[in-house]
Amino acid sequence: MLNHRFLLLSLVTLATLAACSLTRPDNSVLEEARGGYAAAQSDPQVAKFAADELNQAGAALNKANDAWSKREDDALVDQLAYVAKQRVAIAQETARQKAADATAVSVGAERDKIRLDSRTAEADTAQRNAAAALLSAEASQRQSAASQRRAEASQRESEASQRQSEASQRQSEASQRQAQDAEARSRQLDAQLKELDAKKTARGLVITLADVLFDTDKAQLRSGDGMRGVQKLADILKQYPQHNVLIEGFTDSTGSSSHNQELSDRRANAVRTALLDTGIGADRIASRGYGQTFPVASNDTAAGRQLNRRVEIIVSDDGKIIAPRRE
Amino acid sequence: MKNVSKYQWFREISGIAFAAAVMAGCASVPAPTEQIAVSTAAVANAVGAGGPEFAPAEMRTAQEKLDGANKAMAAKDYERARWLAEQAQVDAQLAVTKARSAKAQKAAFALQEDNRVLREELDRKRN
Repeated sequence: MLNHRFLLLSLVTLATLAACSLTRPDNSVLEEARGGYAAAQSDPQVAKFAADELNQAGAALNKANDAWSKREDDALVDQLAYVAKQRVAIAQETARQKAADATAVSVGAERDKIRLDSRTAEADTAQRNAAAALLSAEASQRQSAASQRRAEASQRESEASQRQSEASQRQSEASQRQAQDAEARSRQLDAQLKELDAKKTARGLVITLADVLFDTDKAQLRSGDGMRGVQKLADILKQYPQHNVLIEGFTDSTGSSSHNQELSDRRANAVRTALLDTGIGADRIASRGYGQTFPVASNDTAAGRQLNRRVEIIVSDDGKIIAPRRE
Repeated sequence: MKNVSKYQWFREISGIAFAAAVMAGCASVPAPTEQIAVSTAAVANAVGAGGPEFAPAEMRTAQEKLDGANKAMAAKDYERARWLAEQAQVDAQLAVTKARSAKAQKAAFALQEDNRVLREELDRKRN
């Protein structure tokens, strides 16, 4: 009786001892599964793209770990660990596939962007070229307009200088004619003055009106010869308005010098009045008497005295004031 | 009388216990017909998805295990049949995933290459 009980007790103890071994030898497949799962868990790509598959792998690994800790048969633990290991691999491959799909999408979008950028760049280039072409067309247009204006300007210049030369030619012709006219006039004047028997002196031309043109001791010009001389002079003065006259009266020595002074004044003035009457301006005619001074001949002879009784009309040179006589 | 009955009771208990232990070891496992069907479909699907091209190793083991499962079924080793069928299924699933992943990576790389070529062409044209 004691032997059987002891045997049973021993058997039970042995069995318990066998079952409660403190360390179970590692299962290599389970180790692989655990390692694979840990790696997959820490892979951000797996977490992002294959979360479901990773959860399934985790559940399978839990079953395997449970079986192992509950000391199930190695065969069962192997089976469960193998399935868990494959599920981890599935999760990793799924993640790779979804990541590649995402890359394809972004690459497709990138291709569209490249095309768009290229077309935009083409359009920009075309626009810049068109703008540049427009600018250069405008510039050449302005250039041609400017050169046209320059051509017109130079043409006008040449026309102007041509007109100038024509004008100066006409001017020279005119001044030539003027000179010819002046020459002709002066010859004419000379001729006219010759008629009047004028003499050239330093003070101007001197026309002598003889005594016979006045009545004796009178200051009135005799009509006829006297007036004719004055008229001729008036004509000349009208033709040559730049000439002035000074009328100087003289007497012989007969009588008092004061009487002669006064007589000579009156005679000179008479000639002046006669000239004024012909229309010559008063500012052109001056008159004065010199009495018996400045004789031209001897007062001892009658002929000489007659010569001294005279009026001298001095016609100025162009525009000049006639210098007075000096004693 | 007491000794004989105790001894007999003890033996009976042991016998019953032993029988129970044996019976526990040889518990009845149902035939895994559904699992076999699922695994067969999974392997066929993997073939269609490009498994032989992109995951040949996984396809090989899946097919071998499926064959082994069928043999175990025929031998009425139902636990072994179920386990082999489960492994064949998960191997086939891995083959499918590997094939899809390989194709996706190929496609992405081809698109990147296209972009590179496109960029080069456009740069040449511009310059």
